[in-house]
Amino acid sequence: MTTVIAIDQNLCTGCQECTKICPNLAIEGMPHQPQKVNENKCVMCGQCVQKCKSYVSIAEHGAAAYAKVHKERGLPASVKEPLFAAYNVCHLDEVKKALADPDKITMVQCAPAVRVALAEDFGAEFGTLAAGKMAAALKKIGFNYVYDTNFAADVTIMEEGSELVDRLTNGGVLPMFTSCCPAWVKYLELNYPDLRKHLSSCKSPQQMEGVLFKTYGAKLLNIPAEKIFSVSVMPCTCKQYESGRPEMKDSGQRDVDVVITTRELAWLIKEMGIDFMSLPEEKFDSPMGDYSGAAEIFGVTGGVMEAALRTGYELVTGKPIPAVDITAVRGRDGFRQANVQVGDITLKVGVVTGLKNVKPVMEALKAGQLDLHFIEVMTCPEGCVTGGGQPKLILDTDAEEAYTRRTSCTYSYDKELPIRKSHENPSVQKLYKDYLEKPLGEKSHELLHTTYCGDPKHHH
Amino acid sequence: MPSEFGLFVSTDVSKCSGCKACEMACFQSHNVKRNNVGKTVGTISVPVTPKLYVTVIETASMPVQCKHCENSPCKAVCKQNAIRKVGAQVVVDENKCIGCKDCLVACPFGAITLLPFYACGKQVTQADSGDGKVAASKCDLCFEDPAGPACIRVCPNEALHLTDVNEERKQKNIAAAEALAVINAGSPERRLL
Repeated sequence: MTTVIAIDQNLCTGCQECTKICPNLAIEGMPHQPQKVNENKCVMCGQCVQKCKSYVSIAEHGAAAYAKVHKERGLPASVKEPLFAAYNVCHLDEVKKALADPDKITMVQCAPAVRVALAEDFGAEFGTLAAGKMAAALKKIGFNYVYDTNFAADVTIMEEGSELVDRLTNGGVLPMFTSCCPAWVKYLELNYPDLRKHLSSCKSPQQMEGVLFKTYGAKLLNIPAEKIFSVSVMPCTCKQYESGRPEMKDSGQRDVDVVITTRELAWLIKEMGIDFMSLPEEKFDSPMGDYSGAAEIFGVTGGVMEAALRTGYELVTGKPIPAVDITAVRGRDGFRQANVQVGDITLKVGVVTGLKNVKPVMEALKAGQLDLHFIEVMTCPEGCVTGGGQPKLILDTDAEEAYTRRTSCTYSYDKELPIRKSHENPSVQKLYKDYLEKPLGEKSHELLHTTYCGDPKHHH
Repeated sequence: MPSEFGLFVSTDVSKCSGCKACEMACFQSHNVKRNNVGKTVGTISVPVTPKLYVTVIETASMPVQCKHCENSPCKAVCKQNAIRKVGAQVVVDENKCIGCKDCLVACPFGAITLLPFYACGKQVTQADSGDGKVAASKCDLCFEDPAGPACIRVCPNEALHLTDVNEERKQKNIAAAEALAVINAGSPERRLL
């Protein structure tokens, strides 16, 4: 397996602050000695990268050490920030190579959480919305098509909402767990492989968007899929791993060619000499960059659940949900439960945030003591806005403020958007009409769903 | 009643993990205005220059930082008058510092080092040679920050605290007096009986 998260043995002081927060006890070593990541256990969430404060220091390591580590990690010249012992492998070189290749058509997607945090690395307040500036920056960088993961988040809701309704009405395996967080999926595969049928078969929005680039997009734009280079910008360090999974090639080749984090995008913007904060706002490209507010809230804990309920309610009852804001599933507690009335069904839902909090839930499930239908699980402390690839806080004492502001920015952006339900996204409706036919249909099954633990994919 | 002695930050070694959060906080608090450092790592464009130095030995770790000595040897040896007292705190004026290292030699704790001196995101150049300037860097107890030392606030293990030796001594005196009051009644001759 290619390394995603590593700890530099020359820099680690053995403080074990990362060990304390690692959700799968993957960091090993003696106190005051350099720690190592056990790659057989690491779920690649990158919270250790966020936590680590042991930097290349002039006083301790000497003036030449910084340049050496900088080079070893393949960082762009624009990176002048401190380099820490725990880091995620940088993939900007691959992106820059593709951008410079005239034979490649580059398509980029950005996760919802990126736009509420990216501006922080340019000095903006925590939770400053920068969707328009980000789209403008990506165009300036030279991506041929600036699409959005949010489009696929809406598609995910169509598929996952339908899957839930299908499981509920046809006696499928319940509770169903969300599958958009790759670190959670990895954790389940490592620790509870026997419970894998509980995972939704839906791919994550990143992978749905990626496969649609090289199928629907290729068809729409009349270009060969092989020419498309698919890049995604994620708040997440684990998405790179997800994109390289052997299952993620349903377009006939790797669906997402490379993933960079929010921080790496900030580096790339600086590398290109773009004055980010003074960019005039631009729009994402249509149709695969059109999105609803339901997609945007995928970035916060409880958001996938809320988005699914907004659509699921209408799928079941045929009527629009009375209150679009489903506050019962919002919050920041590690495990929250709510009953939501959907027509005649009392839907029992759960939301887990912070992967350490999922263990008691899984143990309860194993013991047959979990009375829920649908559970959202996110690995990072408060969902993707607090992801391992997000702008890293200098002071951990700022975490509460940063998390709160990124979250409230996400919810207020959802409120501002003209369409707030995934099934009302006209470009998603068109995708089904022109290409996929229907949720859970044959084409969806082929492109948008997957299996876990290496299980074979059943073909209709 | 403030101490007449200079306060300093000391470490509970049983709590310190050696994580360097204190060094990052120290650097950040001194460079918000000077070098436009914000709240995320991406806003840092200059080398991290702390004023305290986490030291890891085989069995423990702790930041070593200025004791704000009353008879400051660093201040005594500085021929440029770049080290002065602000109240009871010993503070370096980087603009006056010529990097002669006398203070490094004089400090018995190694609490001072020379680090590149940056302002407005660029290394300050020496007037004569145009080379990058370095300056003595040591704890100033965040004397410009009303909230007090940044290192103490950020420590995840609450290992750092501001030490007021005068006040601690008085407390020890009181505790000793309370203990002795019970057994010290009467003359030594009587206690021996």
